[in-house]
This record gives sequence, structure tokens and C-alpha cells, in this order.
Amino acid sequence: MAAGVYLTLALQLPFGAAARPGAGFYPVIVAVFAIAVALLATTSAFRSAPRAEAIELDAAPRRRVVITVVALVAFCLVLRWVGYPAAAFAFVAVVLRYLGSRWTTALLIGALSAAGSYALFAAILDVPLPRGPW
Amino acid sequence: MGPLEGLAYGFSVALLPTNLFACFIGVLVGTLVGVLPGIGPVGAMALLLPSTFAMHPATALIMLAGIYYGAMYGGSTTSILVNVPGEAGSVVTLLDGYQMTRKGRAGAALTIAAVGSFFAGTVGVVGIMLAASWLADVAIQFGPPEYFSITLGGLLLLSRLTGGSIVNAFVMVALGLALGTVGMDSISALRRFTFGSVQLAQGVDLVPVIMGVYGVAEVLLLAEQGIAKTRITSVKLRELLPTPEEWRRSTMPIARGSVVGFLAGLVPGPAAVLSTFIAYTVEKRMSKTPEKFGSGMIEGVAGPEAANNGATAGAMVPLLSLGIPFSPATAILLGALVVHGLQPGPLMISQRPEVFWGFVASMYIGNVMLLILNLPLVSVFVTVLRLPQHVLATLVLLLCLVGAFSLSNSFLDLWVLVIFGVFGYALRKLRVDPAPMVVALVLGPMMEKTLRQALFLTRGSVVDLVARPLSAAILLLAAGALLGPPLVRLLRGRRLAKG
Repeated sequence: MAAGVYLTLALQLPFGAAARPGAGFYPVIVAVFAIAVALLATTSAFRSAPRAEAIELDAAPRRRVVITVVALVAFCLVLRWVGYPAAAFAFVAVVLRYLGSRWTTALLIGALSAAGSYALFAAILDVPLPRGPW
Repeated sequence: MGPLEGLAYGFSVALLPTNLFACFIGVLVGTLVGVLPGIGPVGAMALLLPSTFAMHPATALIMLAGIYYGAMYGGSTTSILVNVPGEAGSVVTLLDGYQMTRKGRAGAALTIAAVGSFFAGTVGVVGIMLAASWLADVAIQFGPPEYFSITLGGLLLLSRLTGGSIVNAFVMVALGLALGTVGMDSISALRRFTFGSVQLAQGVDLVPVIMGVYGVAEVLLLAEQGIAKTRITSVKLRELLPTPEEWRRSTMPIARGSVVGFLAGLVPGPAAVLSTFIAYTVEKRMSKTPEKFGSGMIEGVAGPEAANNGATAGAMVPLLSLGIPFSPATAILLGALVVHGLQPGPLMISQRPEVFWGFVASMYIGNVMLLILNLPLVSVFVTVLRLPQHVLATLVLLLCLVGAFSLSNSFLDLWVLVIFGVFGYALRKLRVDPAPMVVALVLGPMMEKTLRQALFLTRGSVVDLVARPLSAAILLLAAGALLGPPLVRLLRGRRLAKG
């Protein structure tokens, strides 16, 4: 809990400092409010510290979440280079595999969904999805 | 245009084949995401928002709103049959709904829930017609100071009502407001907090944030739980009919739930969820046998199910008449209108009657469609629950990714999506409601603009700003709601200490 509050604190402080006069009038108000709230939250977090319990997950669920997040990040990273169809296929196949499908099903659904969504968005809705080098 | 003429005109718009089709797709998708636990209406609306950019604004509004109220119908099905809420507005329904299933009265519970939703939806639309036109007439006199007070007051109320600690809610509001200041300043066109990025000059887009917080985050929660087999009670068509006794007992709860729900919807806050809790409490208080609640009382299904539909209708009122959204769902609807260059607000009803009245009429039609979809066809939707959850979850992720990219073909939106997905997941784990952040992100820029305009008007005097009668009244109301309950508790505590 406290960590989350600290994170918001850290994120919010530079906002106050960077605010420019004129256009910065309102951001300064927001920053002051943010800092006040963050201080309030920190003190209340300290006060309730004894009963604040860390949220622990078992290894298996944690691994599923981490892998999904990693896959999401990887998708965003490689999309520009390998193109949408390949990235979508790999993304769906990998996530499905780790969430519990067999490899064959995962690959099949991956291929179908990549082709299907590419057809829908790129061909019908005219979204310029990156095609990749091939 | 009077309400009757307006409505007639609205039907002529809503009955256009395109709009009928949009309405059908909306309520169908709404029912589906309502039935499926884990995927809520807000995420689905964000997902489908890009696809509405090519539509007429009325069509876009009709479809997206259809998802919102459609989900309220679908959610009850899962609550009643599986003992898992299909979406947050149906949490209360499972208390008595699932108990009725165990007693073999699942069909009756489903019918009452659908009929109650239908009745409340219809009452709600009448409410929108009257309240929105009336409020719009009043709101024409509003200047920037009043708008500033309304947005500020709304945000304060929202933080008070989201449940959980108010400090957490304020942290979320602060974060949302800060995010809202990123990008080009609306008055002087100065770039703020963009760190030199051209893409950030446009600001942080609401849609990837919502997709992240309500789409990706929900899927991460599902991923954590892994594959769960759901046990589903099947319902036969002839079991759907409630007994006359059950009908009689449900009539008043439905009527009360509709009114309670609509009123709750008008107040900023998580109306659909909150209204169900209020309705449940009301029914329990009114009942001669309150101790039987939780053991399969039909009243406990009828009241809340009517209430959540009434609330979705009520939530439309501030959006349509003031142009101010007080919930993530209506924020998306606002986004859909703004994309088309519409300025939702008091003038929209008279300037773009086809949008307002077409939308109102479509809600009548949508509610009829939903009644048909959810009663005879309930078993079709229940089979959706047999789909493997993880496959569905993965496909939702992929749709979020493509959807976020297609908004403005920008890689930045993808990162916003992923970052807020993880952030939203963390918030769920910490039991912090992200709604205040989302609403603050939308209202922040409005507040800034109206505040600065208002200060120009009053030549920088904050006193003049607050002293305008309307604006003072609004702020006082909000302050009362914010400080009232703790004060009352404090006084009561003192009295107890003395006595």
C-alpha cells in the first residue's frame, strides 16, 4: 500500500516543479492538491501499517500474470519490426499456451485469430497495421 | 420540440435500418459481456469505440449505450445461474438469485430480473426525456463558474461514493487530473509535460487508459485465476414462468427499484453498483420478513435488477443535458460524441435533435430487444459460459491491442494501454477503485478551461466565482454531501460518549 502511495508521490512531484506560469496556473493547483493528498495518504498508510498486508500470490498464478504482461510488452516492442500478423500470432499462441491450452490448440487459435483480426482491421476497417518485412 | 413530438421524431431516426442494426449489435454485445464474468461493459465500450468513428453520431451513441444497458440484463443471468456476478451491477442479485436457483426457481428469478430490468429501463427513458430536457433548459443559463462548480462538486461526490477510503479516491482523482494536464494547453496552445514528444502533445487519450484499466486489467485477473470450470444450471423454457405469487411479490420491488435506480444514476458515482445495494436495503427494510433475505427471496432479485437498469438511464441525464460524464461508461459516450465534433450540453437537444431523440427512442427499442434476447434465448447465452475462459481472455487482449492502435495509429497508445493495464491490475489487488481517476482525466481539462474562463470573467476574484448564487449552491451541496456523513458520525459519537 505504502509503496503504491510513494510511487504516486514520486510521479506527482515533478509535475509541480515543471508547471509554467500562465498555462501553468491550473497545473500548480493540481500539483498542490496532489501533494496534499499524497501526504495524507502516506500518513494514513503509516498509521494503518500494522494491518497492511502484502499481497502475495502463489508461484503459478504469479507466473501466469507475469507471462501475460511480458507478452504484452513484447508485442508492443516487436510490432514495428515484425508486423502485425506475426506479432499477433506469436502473442496469442504464447499466452494461450501458458494459460493452459495445448501447443496445437494454441498455435491453431493463434493463426486463426491473427488472420481474422488482420483481415477485419486492415482490410475492412482500413487501419494501417504494420505488415512487417514480408 | 415537446417530448411527444420529439419522441415521434426520435422513433423515425431510431427505426432507420442502420440504427436498428446498431442497437441490436449494441444490446447483443452488452448481453454477452454482461453474461461473461471478467469482461465488463466499460471495457467492451472502449473496445468498440474505434469502430464507431465511421458512423453517424446518433448511430454510435445508440450502439455504445446499448452495450451499457445490455450488460445490466446479461449480468443477472450469470449471478442467478452460476453464483458469480457477470458484472459489478449484479453482485447483489446473486445473494437471493442463486439461492432461488438452488430451490429450483432459477427460471422465475431470470424472468423477474429481465422484466424488472425492462420496466426500469422504460421508466428510465421517460425519466431521461423529462429530466434531460428540463435540466438543459436550466443549464442554458450556466456560465463557466457554474460549470466549474458542477465538475468540481461532481468529482468530490464521486470520491466520496466510490467506497473504500476517501484518501485513496483522492489520490486517484489527483492522478487523473495530472494526466489531464498533459498535452497542448487548450487556451494558450503551450505544450505541457510532453517531454518533447509530439505524440504526447495531443494528451493522454482516454480510450487506451480505459481499455487498460477495464480491459487488460480484468484479463490479468482472469489469468491469475487460471482455468476455472464453471458449473451451470440449465434452464428449460417452461420453467421460466414465475407463479402468480412471485409476480405479486415482485411488482412493488420493481417499481421502487426503478425509481431508486434512476435517482441514484443522477448522482455522480458508481451508480449501477451503488443503486443495487440501495435497492436491496430498501427491500429488506420494507419487507415483513427481512430475516429471509439471502435465502432466495424474489424481492431481493426484483429490486436490485430494476435499480441497475434505472441507474444506467439516470446516468445519461448529466451527460446529455450538461455534457458532463460522471462515470467511466458515460465518459466513453462523451468521447464518441466529441469525436464527431458534437458538443454535448444544453444546446445539443435543440441543435442536434436527431442525436438526442434518436438515442432516447433507441433505448425503448433496445429494451424490447433485450427482453426478447434474455428470456426465450437465455439458454443460448448461457452456452457462452461454456467457452474456455482463457481463450476468450487472450482474444480480448488481442482486441485491446488492435483497438488501441487503431484509435490514431499510434504506438504511444499501445504503451498507454499496457501501462494502465498493469496499473489497473495493481489497483484491483490493492482494492482501489480506478473510476475516480478515469472520470478526473475527462473532467480535468473541462475544469481547467471553465476555471480559467471564469477567472477572466470575474477578473481573478475567487470570491466572485464562488459567490454566484447557482455556483455557490452547487458547491455547498457537494460540500454537504462530502462532509455530512463524517460530521453526523462525529456528533453521534460525542452523544454516545456523553450518554
